[in-house]
Amino acid sequence: MHELSIAHEIYRTCRAVVAAHGGGTLAAVRVAVGELTAVEPDLLVFAWEAVVAEGKDHQARLEVEWRQARQFCPACGADKRQAEASWLPLCPDCGGPLQVAGGDDLDILSVEILGPEEES
Amino acid sequence: MTTVDVRQRILAENEAAARTLRDGFAAAGTLVVNLISSPGSGKTSLLEATVRHLGGRVTVGAVEGDIATERDADRLRALGVPAVQILTGGACHLDARQVARATGEAAFPRLDILFIENVGNLICPTSYDLGEDFKVAVLSVTEGDDKPFKYPAIFSRAEVTVISKVDLLPHVRFDLDAVRSQLRTLRPAGTVLLTSAHTGEGIEAWCAYLQQRLTDKRRGTP
Repeated sequence: MHELSIAHEIYRTCRAVVAAHGGGTLAAVRVAVGELTAVEPDLLVFAWEAVVAEGKDHQARLEVEWRQARQFCPACGADKRQAEASWLPLCPDCGGPLQVAGGDDLDILSVEILGPEEES
Repeated sequence: MTTVDVRQRILAENEAAARTLRDGFAAAGTLVVNLISSPGSGKTSLLEATVRHLGGRVTVGAVEGDIATERDADRLRALGVPAVQILTGGACHLDARQVARATGEAAFPRLDILFIENVGNLICPTSYDLGEDFKVAVLSVTEGDDKPFKYPAIFSRAEVTVISKVDLLPHVRFDLDAVRSQLRTLRPAGTVLLTSAHTGEGIEAWCAYLQQRLTDKRRGTP
Protein backbone atom coordinates (compact mmCIF):
# COMPACT_ATOMS: atom_id res chain seq x y z
CA MET A 1 0.00 0.00 0.00
CA HIS A 2 3.00 2.34 -0.17
CA GLU A 3 1.90 2.94 -3.76
CA LEU A 4 -0.25 5.75 -2.34
CA SER A 5 2.79 7.53 -0.87
CA ILE A 6 4.60 7.04 -4.16
CA ALA A 7 1.65 8.40 -6.17
CA HIS A 8 1.71 11.50 -3.92
CA GLU A 9 5.43 11.97 -4.55
CA ILE A 10 4.90 11.68 -8.31
CA TYR A 11 2.08 14.21 -8.22
CA ARG A 12 4.05 16.74 -6.17
CA THR A 13 6.98 16.55 -8.56
CA CYS A 14 4.71 16.83 -11.62
CA ARG A 15 2.92 19.86 -10.21
CA ALA A 16 6.29 21.55 -9.67
CA VAL A 17 7.23 20.75 -13.27
CA VAL A 18 3.94 22.22 -14.55
CA ALA A 19 4.47 25.38 -12.48
CA ALA A 20 8.04 25.70 -13.79
CA HIS A 21 6.69 25.56 -17.36
CA GLY A 22 4.21 28.39 -17.02
CA GLY A 23 1.30 26.52 -15.43
CA GLY A 24 -1.57 24.62 -17.00
CA THR A 25 -3.04 21.18 -16.55
CA LEU A 26 -1.28 17.89 -16.26
CA ALA A 27 -2.36 15.60 -19.11
CA ALA A 28 -0.14 12.57 -18.63
CA VAL A 29 2.86 11.30 -16.72
CA ARG A 30 5.19 8.55 -17.81
CA VAL A 31 7.08 6.67 -15.10
CA ALA A 32 9.46 3.72 -15.05
CA VAL A 33 8.97 1.06 -12.39
CA GLY A 34 11.49 -1.71 -11.92
CA GLU A 35 10.60 -5.22 -10.93
CA LEU A 36 12.74 -5.05 -7.77
CA THR A 37 11.21 -1.86 -6.36
CA ALA A 38 8.32 -3.66 -4.69
CA VAL A 39 5.91 -1.31 -6.45
CA GLU A 40 2.89 -2.87 -8.12
CA PRO A 41 1.99 -0.99 -11.35
CA ASP A 42 -1.76 -1.62 -11.16
CA LEU A 43 -1.92 -0.43 -7.57
CA LEU A 44 0.16 2.60 -8.47
CA VAL A 45 -2.30 3.59 -11.22
CA PHE A 46 -5.19 3.02 -8.81
CA ALA A 47 -3.50 5.17 -6.17
CA TRP A 48 -2.74 7.83 -8.78
CA GLU A 49 -6.41 8.07 -9.76
CA ALA A 50 -7.27 8.62 -6.11
CA VAL A 51 -4.60 11.30 -5.73
CA VAL A 52 -5.69 13.36 -8.76
CA ALA A 53 -9.44 12.68 -8.48
CA GLU A 54 -10.47 15.89 -6.74
CA GLY A 55 -8.33 18.51 -8.46
CA LYS A 56 -7.89 20.20 -11.82
CA ASP A 57 -5.60 17.38 -12.99
CA HIS A 58 -8.26 14.72 -12.54
CA GLN A 59 -7.91 13.61 -16.16
CA ALA A 60 -4.18 13.11 -15.95
CA ARG A 61 -3.11 9.62 -17.00
CA LEU A 62 -0.31 7.70 -15.36
CA GLU A 63 1.56 5.48 -17.79
CA VAL A 64 3.84 2.89 -16.24
CA GLU A 65 6.80 1.49 -18.11
CA TRP A 66 7.64 -1.84 -16.44
CA ARG A 67 11.34 -2.68 -16.27
CA GLN A 68 12.36 -6.25 -15.60
CA ALA A 69 15.44 -7.12 -13.63
CA ARG A 70 18.11 -8.85 -15.68
CA GLN A 71 19.21 -12.36 -14.85
CA PHE A 72 22.71 -12.68 -16.12
CA CYS A 73 24.63 -15.92 -16.54
CA PRO A 74 28.35 -15.29 -15.97
CA ALA A 75 29.22 -18.70 -17.45
CA CYS A 76 27.39 -18.02 -20.73
CA GLY A 77 28.19 -14.30 -20.57
CA ALA A 78 24.61 -13.47 -21.53
CA ASP A 79 21.30 -12.30 -20.14
CA LYS A 80 18.77 -15.08 -19.74
CA ARG A 81 15.08 -14.50 -19.91
CA GLN A 82 13.18 -15.55 -16.89
CA ALA A 83 9.82 -17.20 -17.14
CA GLU A 84 6.88 -14.92 -16.38
CA ALA A 85 6.70 -14.16 -12.65
CA SER A 86 9.35 -16.73 -11.85
CA TRP A 87 12.78 -16.52 -10.32
CA LEU A 88 15.15 -19.00 -11.82
CA PRO A 89 18.00 -19.99 -9.56
CA LEU A 90 19.86 -21.57 -12.46
CA CYS A 91 20.64 -20.77 -16.07
CA PRO A 92 18.19 -22.58 -18.36
CA ASP A 93 21.06 -23.34 -20.77
CA CYS A 94 24.17 -24.24 -18.75
CA GLY A 95 22.66 -24.80 -15.31
CA GLY A 96 25.03 -22.31 -13.64
CA PRO A 97 23.86 -19.80 -11.02
CA LEU A 98 22.37 -16.60 -12.43
CA GLN A 99 23.11 -13.09 -11.17
CA VAL A 100 20.39 -10.50 -10.79
CA ALA A 101 20.95 -6.91 -11.92
CA GLY A 102 18.83 -3.80 -12.49
CA GLY A 103 15.11 -3.66 -11.90
CA ASP A 104 15.49 -0.84 -9.39
CA ASP A 105 14.07 1.90 -11.63
CA LEU A 106 11.61 4.23 -9.98
CA ASP A 107 11.72 7.33 -12.14
CA ILE A 108 9.51 10.00 -13.58
CA LEU A 109 10.39 9.97 -17.28
CA SER A 110 8.25 12.74 -18.76
CA VAL A 111 5.11 14.76 -18.27
CA GLU A 112 2.63 16.13 -20.78
CA ILE A 113 1.21 19.54 -19.99
CA LEU A 114 -1.79 21.33 -21.44
CA GLY A 115 -0.79 24.99 -21.36
CA PRO A 116 -3.17 27.60 -19.90
CA GLU A 117 -4.24 28.64 -23.45
CA GLU A 118 -5.12 25.02 -24.36
CA GLU A 119 -7.26 24.37 -21.30
CA SER A 120 -10.97 24.20 -22.05
CA MET B 1 0.43 20.08 -25.49
CA THR B 2 3.98 20.24 -24.20
CA THR B 3 5.99 17.17 -23.31
CA VAL B 4 8.69 17.76 -20.72
CA ASP B 5 11.54 15.34 -20.16
CA VAL B 6 11.86 14.96 -16.40
CA ARG B 7 14.19 12.01 -15.69
CA GLN B 8 13.98 12.29 -11.96
CA ARG B 9 13.84 9.64 -9.26
CA ILE B 10 10.31 9.46 -7.87
CA LEU B 11 11.64 9.25 -4.33
CA ALA B 12 14.21 12.03 -4.88
CA GLU B 13 13.07 13.86 -1.76
CA ASN B 14 13.38 10.75 0.41
CA GLU B 15 16.76 10.02 -1.13
CA ALA B 16 17.98 13.56 -0.36
CA ALA B 17 16.85 13.16 3.27
CA ALA B 18 18.61 9.78 3.40
CA ARG B 19 21.85 11.34 2.10
CA THR B 20 21.72 13.98 4.82
CA LEU B 21 21.18 11.28 7.45
CA ARG B 22 24.01 9.18 6.02
CA ASP B 23 26.42 12.14 6.14
CA GLY B 24 25.44 12.82 9.76
CA PHE B 25 25.91 9.18 10.76
CA ALA B 26 29.28 9.09 8.97
CA ALA B 27 30.46 12.19 10.84
CA ALA B 28 29.33 10.63 14.14
CA GLY B 29 30.93 7.26 13.31
CA THR B 30 27.64 5.47 13.93
CA LEU B 31 26.89 2.23 12.08
CA VAL B 32 23.24 2.19 11.00
CA VAL B 33 21.36 -1.04 10.34
CA ASN B 34 17.90 -1.14 8.76
CA LEU B 35 16.06 -4.31 9.88
CA ILE B 36 13.27 -5.47 7.58
CA SER B 37 11.04 -8.53 7.92
CA SER B 38 7.50 -9.81 8.21
CA PRO B 39 5.68 -9.08 11.46
CA GLY B 40 6.60 -11.65 14.09
CA SER B 41 9.91 -12.83 12.62
CA GLY B 42 11.66 -11.80 15.82
CA LYS B 43 13.36 -8.48 14.98
CA THR B 44 12.91 -7.09 18.49
CA SER B 45 13.94 -10.40 20.08
CA LEU B 46 17.06 -10.41 17.92
CA LEU B 47 17.85 -6.88 19.12
CA GLU B 48 17.28 -7.86 22.75
CA ALA B 49 19.67 -10.81 22.37
CA THR B 50 22.15 -8.54 20.57
CA VAL B 51 22.11 -5.94 23.33
CA ARG B 52 22.55 -8.63 25.99
CA HIS B 53 25.47 -10.15 24.12
CA LEU B 54 27.23 -6.85 23.44
CA GLY B 55 26.83 -5.83 27.07
CA GLY B 56 28.18 -2.34 27.60
CA ARG B 57 31.03 -2.74 25.11
CA VAL B 58 29.08 -1.21 22.26
CA THR B 59 26.70 1.73 22.65
CA VAL B 60 23.45 0.89 20.92
CA GLY B 61 20.34 2.95 20.14
CA ALA B 62 17.14 2.05 18.35
CA VAL B 63 14.47 3.62 16.19
CA GLU B 64 11.34 1.48 16.24
CA GLY B 65 8.76 1.73 13.47
CA ASP B 66 5.27 0.45 14.12
CA ILE B 67 1.74 1.25 13.15
CA ALA B 68 0.67 1.40 16.78
CA THR B 69 1.96 1.01 20.37
CA GLU B 70 5.29 1.77 22.07
CA ARG B 71 5.81 -1.90 22.90
CA ASP B 72 8.99 -2.47 20.93
CA ALA B 73 10.67 0.69 22.19
CA ASP B 74 9.65 -0.22 25.75
CA ARG B 75 11.21 -3.68 25.42
CA LEU B 76 14.54 -2.14 24.46
CA ARG B 77 14.35 0.66 27.03
CA ALA B 78 13.94 -2.06 29.66
CA LEU B 79 17.46 -3.18 28.68
CA GLY B 80 18.80 0.36 29.02
CA VAL B 81 18.81 1.08 25.28
CA PRO B 82 17.80 4.59 24.26
CA ALA B 83 14.92 3.95 21.89
CA VAL B 84 12.50 6.16 20.03
CA GLN B 85 9.21 4.88 18.69
CA ILE B 86 7.86 6.13 15.38
CA LEU B 87 4.14 5.51 15.06
CA THR B 88 3.21 5.52 11.40
CA GLY B 89 -0.52 5.48 12.06
CA GLY B 90 -1.20 2.93 9.34
CA ALA B 91 1.65 3.57 6.94
CA CYS B 92 3.45 0.39 5.97
CA HIS B 93 7.06 1.61 6.00
CA LEU B 94 9.41 4.20 7.46
CA ASP B 95 10.79 7.01 5.31
CA ALA B 96 13.97 9.01 5.78
CA ARG B 97 12.16 12.17 6.87
CA GLN B 98 10.49 10.31 9.75
CA VAL B 99 13.84 8.90 10.82
CA ALA B 100 15.41 12.37 10.67
CA ARG B 101 12.65 13.80 12.87
CA ALA B 102 12.83 10.89 15.32
CA THR B 103 16.62 10.93 15.71
CA GLY B 104 16.47 14.72 16.10
CA GLU B 105 13.91 14.48 18.88
CA ALA B 106 15.59 11.51 20.57
CA ALA B 107 18.86 13.40 21.13
CA PHE B 108 20.71 10.07 21.38
CA PRO B 109 24.06 9.96 23.13
CA ARG B 110 27.02 9.15 20.86
CA LEU B 111 26.13 5.74 19.43
CA ASP B 112 28.26 2.97 18.00
CA ILE B 113 25.30 1.25 16.37
CA LEU B 114 21.83 2.56 15.59
CA PHE B 115 19.27 -0.08 14.71
CA ILE B 116 16.26 1.02 12.72
CA GLU B 117 13.56 -1.60 13.13
CA ASN B 118 11.25 -1.05 10.20
CA VAL B 119 7.50 -1.69 10.16
CA GLY B 120 6.91 -5.44 9.82
CA ASN B 121 6.51 -5.83 6.06
CA LEU B 122 8.65 -7.50 3.38
CA ILE B 123 7.48 -5.24 0.58
CA CYS B 124 7.06 -1.52 1.12
CA PRO B 125 10.13 -0.74 3.29
CA THR B 126 12.33 -2.01 0.47
CA SER B 127 11.86 1.15 -1.59
CA TYR B 128 12.91 3.62 1.09
CA ASP B 129 16.53 4.45 1.83
CA LEU B 130 16.82 5.50 5.47
CA GLY B 131 20.49 6.52 5.37
CA GLU B 132 21.52 3.11 6.67
CA ASP B 133 24.86 1.39 6.05
CA PHE B 134 23.08 -1.79 5.12
CA LYS B 135 19.75 -3.57 5.20
CA VAL B 136 19.19 -6.81 7.08
CA ALA B 137 16.32 -9.12 6.16
CA VAL B 138 15.11 -11.35 8.98
CA LEU B 139 13.36 -14.54 7.91
CA SER B 140 12.08 -16.90 10.59
CA VAL B 141 11.97 -20.61 9.84
CA THR B 142 8.23 -20.72 10.49
CA GLU B 143 7.56 -18.43 7.51
CA GLY B 144 8.48 -21.04 4.92
CA ASP B 145 11.45 -21.68 2.65
CA ASP B 146 9.97 -20.13 -0.48
CA LYS B 147 10.12 -16.53 0.71
CA PRO B 148 13.29 -15.18 -0.96
CA PHE B 149 11.94 -15.81 -4.47
CA LYS B 150 8.49 -14.61 -3.48
CA TYR B 151 9.91 -11.32 -2.18
CA PRO B 152 12.98 -10.88 -4.40
CA ALA B 153 13.19 -7.11 -3.87
CA ILE B 154 14.09 -7.19 -0.20
CA PHE B 155 16.28 -10.29 -0.37
CA SER B 156 18.30 -8.81 -3.23
CA ARG B 157 18.82 -5.53 -1.38
CA ALA B 158 19.69 -6.96 2.03
CA GLU B 159 23.42 -7.35 2.63
CA VAL B 160 22.62 -9.85 5.39
CA THR B 161 19.78 -12.31 5.73
CA VAL B 162 19.28 -13.52 9.28
CA ILE B 163 17.39 -16.80 9.46
CA SER B 164 15.81 -16.62 12.90
CA LYS B 165 14.16 -19.08 15.28
CA VAL B 166 16.49 -21.88 14.14
CA ASP B 167 15.78 -23.71 17.42
CA LEU B 168 12.43 -24.58 15.76
CA LEU B 169 14.05 -26.23 12.71
CA PRO B 170 13.39 -29.79 13.95
CA HIS B 171 9.69 -28.98 14.19
CA VAL B 172 9.01 -27.25 10.86
CA ARG B 173 9.52 -28.03 7.20
CA PHE B 174 12.15 -25.51 6.17
CA ASP B 175 14.75 -26.49 3.59
CA LEU B 176 17.83 -24.42 4.48
CA ASP B 177 19.65 -25.40 1.30
CA ALA B 178 16.75 -24.22 -0.84
CA VAL B 179 16.78 -20.87 0.97
CA ARG B 180 20.54 -20.52 0.60
CA SER B 181 20.30 -21.24 -3.12
CA GLN B 182 17.59 -18.60 -3.61
CA LEU B 183 19.61 -16.06 -1.63
CA ARG B 184 22.73 -16.79 -3.69
CA THR B 185 20.81 -15.98 -6.86
CA LEU B 186 19.38 -12.75 -5.51
CA ARG B 187 22.50 -11.58 -3.69
CA PRO B 188 25.59 -13.60 -4.64
CA ALA B 189 27.90 -11.88 -2.14
CA GLY B 190 25.33 -11.62 0.64
CA THR B 191 25.82 -13.03 4.12
CA VAL B 192 23.45 -15.58 5.64
CA LEU B 193 23.41 -15.98 9.43
CA LEU B 194 21.42 -18.47 11.47
CA THR B 195 20.22 -17.31 14.88
CA SER B 196 17.99 -18.20 17.75
CA ALA B 197 17.26 -15.41 20.20
CA HIS B 198 15.73 -18.12 22.41
CA THR B 199 18.82 -20.37 22.77
CA GLY B 200 21.41 -17.75 21.85
CA GLU B 201 22.67 -19.78 18.89
CA GLY B 202 24.38 -17.62 16.27
CA ILE B 203 24.11 -14.41 18.26
CA GLU B 204 27.86 -14.26 18.70
CA ALA B 205 28.50 -14.51 14.95
CA TRP B 206 25.86 -11.84 14.27
CA CYS B 207 27.42 -9.50 16.84
CA ALA B 208 30.89 -10.17 15.43
CA TYR B 209 29.58 -9.21 11.98
CA LEU B 210 28.19 -5.94 13.35
CA GLN B 211 31.42 -5.13 15.17
CA GLN B 212 33.48 -5.83 12.05
CA ARG B 213 31.24 -3.53 10.00
CA LEU B 214 31.58 -0.85 12.68
CA THR B 215 35.38 -1.16 12.69
CA ASP B 216 35.45 -1.02 8.87
CA LYS B 217 33.24 2.04 8.82
CA ARG B 218 35.42 3.93 11.27
CA ARG B 219 38.56 2.95 9.35
CA GLY B 220 36.93 4.17 6.19
CA THR B 221 37.07 0.79 4.45
CA PRO B 222 33.98 0.25 2.34
